[in-house]
Amino acid sequence: MKIRKIVTVVEEIRSEGGRTVDRPARVAVVAAVIENPWSGQGFVEDLNPGIDAHASDVGALLAPAVLDALEEPAEAYGKAAIVGLDGEIEHGSALIHTLKFGDHFRKAADATTLLPAVEKRGPAGVVFDIPLKHITDATIRSHHQSFEVRISDAPHPNEIVIALAAASQGRPQQRLAPLSTEQ
Amino acid sequence: MQERIDHLDESIGLRKLVLYRDVALTEAGEAPARPARRASVAAVIRNPWVGTGPSADLSAEQGRVAPVLARLLTDRLIASLGGADEIESFGKAAMVGTAGEIEHAGALIHTPYFGNLMREFLQGESVICFADSRTEAGETLIVPLWHKTRASTRSHYQTISARVSDAPRADEIVVIAAASTGPRPHPRIGDRMTDPVVTAETLETVPS
Repeated sequence: MKIRKIVTVVEEIRSEGGRTVDRPARVAVVAAVIENPWSGQGFVEDLNPGIDAHASDVGALLAPAVLDALEEPAEAYGKAAIVGLDGEIEHGSALIHTLKFGDHFRKAADATTLLPAVEKRGPAGVVFDIPLKHITDATIRSHHQSFEVRISDAPHPNEIVIALAAASQGRPQQRLAPLSTEQ
Repeated sequence: MQERIDHLDESIGLRKLVLYRDVALTEAGEAPARPARRASVAAVIRNPWVGTGPSADLSAEQGRVAPVLARLLTDRLIASLGGADEIESFGKAAMVGTAGEIEHAGALIHTPYFGNLMREFLQGESVICFADSRTEAGETLIVPLWHKTRASTRSHYQTISARVSDAPRADEIVVIAAASTGPRPHPRIGDRMTDPVVTAETLETVPS
């Protein structure tokens, strides 16, 4: 895996809707900008060798890093694959939509649910929103949220940005009735 | 301690803090000799001068708010880069929302209440380079950095891109402190010590 750079973003919300957020709401993202393993090879039918070579490594790199950046236990999480203009979205999906990738984060965070994801192709500096849901029950409405990310010079046309996001809580000032009240 | 922090939050109208950090493991295909960690920390605060007009005296609020920001931002910058000793270059910036004046941004970063404290906390000596703008929320501002004790050190001229997706609102100001632990990935454009004397007369070909 050829990594160009690692980007970390941590946001801490202290006030929302004009009121103090009792426990500052933290969201962390760690992204690796890597060379697209299938770059320059034309249409590659079988993506499995590339997945086997890279998916676990990038998951193992990002999972502890995003939990370190959060500095608190994660309650919600999500992931992203943003493919440069010369690649296929399938290339990004290949790297993040396998257990080889996601299990590193699930184990590190004591999580059980599927990781919600954004997959997108775009130029360097493209804005993307990572969806996050609760780490053990994806129906917990208070934890549905998303986090906006932009890396000014990535992805290059032959690169992929792979990212993990973790939140220490649900939305700040969350106050929607739970799903169960409507069933 | 928590009580004190909450009080400070309210006293400066703090909405949120955003840390951005990157490290280049390779650049142009090769690992840098000295991989630099670079970071910016942004605080989104209420503009204390919204609606006050161009004749308003800014001194009282700048003396009250700017030192709190200097401490808050540099503490996080230092923590994210591994200590003030590690930091080699620095810069500062402010983005004011559309209901404010660029003078309001300047009031929070250009006076000793912010600049002197930031320099002291980051153990620097140089004048701190800066950028400012009046913008809609979500605009990008390019923050310049230069060496914290020898500003003309060319290898350390670099910039970091700062952006908060939902700030500044019209009545807010985003204040940013930024730093790097080293030079550009592959610095090789010389320095003042190695430059030849360049004048229009010494050049064989002079642009006309």
